Amino acid sequence: MNNDNNIDFKDLWKKQSVSQPDIQDLLARVGKFKKAALRSLWISNILLCLTSAFIVFIWIYYQPQFISTKIGIVLTILAMVIYLFVYNKLLRSYKNIDATATNQEYLQKLIFIKKKQQFMQTKMMSFYFVFLTIGICLYMYEYASRMSVLGASLTYGITLLWMMFNWFYIRPKQIKKQQDKINGLIEKFEEVNHQLES
Amino acid sequence: MEFEQIYKTYWDRIFRLCMGFVNDYDAAQDLAQETFIIVWQKLETFRNESAIGTWIFRIASNNCLRQIEKQKRFPKSELPVHLSEEKQTSLEPQIQFLYKCIAELPETDRIIISLELEDIKQNEIAKIVGLSEANVRVKIHRIKEKLTQKFKENEQR
Repeated sequence: MNNDNNIDFKDLWKKQSVSQPDIQDLLARVGKFKKAALRSLWISNILLCLTSAFIVFIWIYYQPQFISTKIGIVLTILAMVIYLFVYNKLLRSYKNIDATATNQEYLQKLIFIKKKQQFMQTKMMSFYFVFLTIGICLYMYEYASRMSVLGASLTYGITLLWMMFNWFYIRPKQIKKQQDKINGLIEKFEEVNHQLES
Repeated sequence: MEFEQIYKTYWDRIFRLCMGFVNDYDAAQDLAQETFIIVWQKLETFRNESAIGTWIFRIASNNCLRQIEKQKRFPKSELPVHLSEEKQTSLEPQIQFLYKCIAELPETDRIIISLELEDIKQNEIAKIVGLSEANVRVKIHRIKEKLTQKFKENEQR
């Protein structure tokens, strides 16, 4: 060490006071953590099962005659299944990120996942809305065809209005909110990754 | 190695690494705990390919990098600020100043210098961060120069 470097950083560094929490506290936290992870898995899957069961119940109970109704039901369920499947997969890839990789690999993996997430959030959201709208419109056709013209147009009108509100208002807002957050993160992670290159 | 033994051996070192990264006592405590949760979960998969220290420090430093994301989600103001201040007043100002300076460095420099101050060999640091040894050496040299300068400026004030 030269004269300019005579401050003993190592000594200072190690004088930082440290209090080691009891290991039991830590293990209790592990347990809580595991329960929370399990619960979130259950909630999304139970919701999916309930919705599907409800739609299947309608299918059996009301015995739809038109093929359009059946296609509508299938499309609606498919939209939800695909959405949840993709969402779960993304969540898993995030959880399974290799925590024991080098910092550089880890950062690159984080950036990769975030970019994938960015892509999926926009595409999946639009896909989900389109499928759901088509599915519901097809599904309603059989019942609307038995109504008066006024009743049918009212039913479709209100439904489509609600869908349009979602498409033009809720969807862009949701996407923008998610994108702002995710773009900021990608930028930050890339900046950190860049520190290693310089 | 048993988890309990790892915990006892490495807690202080991991805590200081986290402290160097965030310079906030409670946040560092949280980060260190999270690190050990991951260690606990992954211990089965540890295959002695690297030294256990390298393995644990990789997890810890990656977790620090990961918290950049959480930092954005939970603004710092939500943390009990006065609590951490209270604990820190008992510290010597120089120690406080060192940790403050380190936490102001670019993220990866914080990790590199913390590992260096923990007496980890430079070839191990290279394995943790994912840089060449030569690169690590240069970086450590630059960071130390920067810290020395900051300390001198601080003395003059």
